[in-house]
Amino acid sequence: MIAHLTVVLVESTYLMRAGIEKLLSELPGLVLREVFDGTEKNLSGKIKEIKPDLVIVNCQIDQQIQMSLVNSLNAEHGIVQIGLTNETTPLNISSRFSHILNSNEGKFELLEALRKIIGKRGIKNEAEKDQQNLTARELTILKKVALGLTNQQIADELFLSIHTVMTHRKNITKKLGIKTVSGLIVYALMNKLVEMGEIERSKK
Amino acid sequence: MKLADVVHHDHMLIPVINRFGIHLGFGDKTIEAVCKEKQVNIGFFITIINAFHDSQYFPKQHLQSFPASMLVDYLLKTHQYYIEDKIPEIEGLIRKMTVNAKSNEASYLLAQNFFTEYKNELTAHVEREEKRVYPYAITLEEAIKTGLVSDALLQQMNAYSITEYEAEHENVEEKLFDLKNIIIKYLPAPSNDQLSFHILDELFMFEKDLNEHARIENMILIPKVEAMEFELKNRGQ
Repeated sequence: MIAHLTVVLVESTYLMRAGIEKLLSELPGLVLREVFDGTEKNLSGKIKEIKPDLVIVNCQIDQQIQMSLVNSLNAEHGIVQIGLTNETTPLNISSRFSHILNSNEGKFELLEALRKIIGKRGIKNEAEKDQQNLTARELTILKKVALGLTNQQIADELFLSIHTVMTHRKNITKKLGIKTVSGLIVYALMNKLVEMGEIERSKK
Repeated sequence: MKLADVVHHDHMLIPVINRFGIHLGFGDKTIEAVCKEKQVNIGFFITIINAFHDSQYFPKQHLQSFPASMLVDYLLKTHQYYIEDKIPEIEGLIRKMTVNAKSNEASYLLAQNFFTEYKNELTAHVEREEKRVYPYAITLEEAIKTGLVSDALLQQMNAYSITEYEAEHENVEEKLFDLKNIIIKYLPAPSNDQLSFHILDELFMFEKDLNEHARIENMILIPKVEAMEFELKNRGQ
């Protein structure tokens, strides 16, 4: 329900992959979209196509591949690169990355480091926004949905474009955590936004 | 490995094991011995319980190598478990919650009706699968085995697309999602916390089971049917 940050991982060993995946799953809002092992052709092109928010790269992958990947992703705006290091990683390599995750750290420290990196991307604000109450406009639309009006009918009545109505509906679903029309009807009835009688009448 | 150790390791597998006609009381027998006794394909059994236990473990190609009839048999048993056991059980619990509600009865009745609606949708979906999708998969498999493709089957292959029913899964999933939120967030505080917990616990488990069921249909059975359709069409030419 929270706006997601897309993550791509470049890591060749199964055990590290599994560990990173586990770590990412602990933080809400992070989605691991794709894992590469570093030997793929046109790796940076493939990653750019995904348009990830975060790219995690193991510093142990082939140096030439790593250099060209880092340089090519640096040219893209909005992609945060994280280097996965250990105690043997030389400084000239780890310094290529704007952020570092030290694989020797414990779970708590790793999560803190990731939270700091994500915090800069503003995901917290998104999460908080979800919990606000419905706006007056959203309430009006919710009532009409509960009364059985289609998106087009709602758009006509409120002089809105159907596109706008759909955006409002998406936001309602996001805020309430209710996806189906009958679920929305239940919500509207429980909160006395509409009466049972109104729904019956509008069906006729 | 002993089957009892499997259950100790993950007791949520009990309903899955039941679907293979294996019931508690297997003593100290190994998986192999129990499967042999019940004439269950041990490879299939182990793959299914592993996939159920660990969502990361899903060997697609390996699962697709099992005959469609075996997959369908398992899926049918799963349906039976939903319709005959799980849904009536949850329904009973929700009724009990409504009875307990007293002054908030109206809200609880709404939730109860929502569940009834969900139940009807799920039942209709299950019936469609059992009447159309599963028999179709089995007919295709037989046609491949015997090499006999009847005109009726050819017609069916052209008229009916297996992919169309995938969208239905989504609606059934969404309703369950809504029901959980209605209970967690929107119903007035329950008079019996333990009962609400019990219902939610059942719903979360049911959801997991349904997801696993849909995963086998969407990622194993449907691709398999599509591959069989492709093979038969090519043979015909």
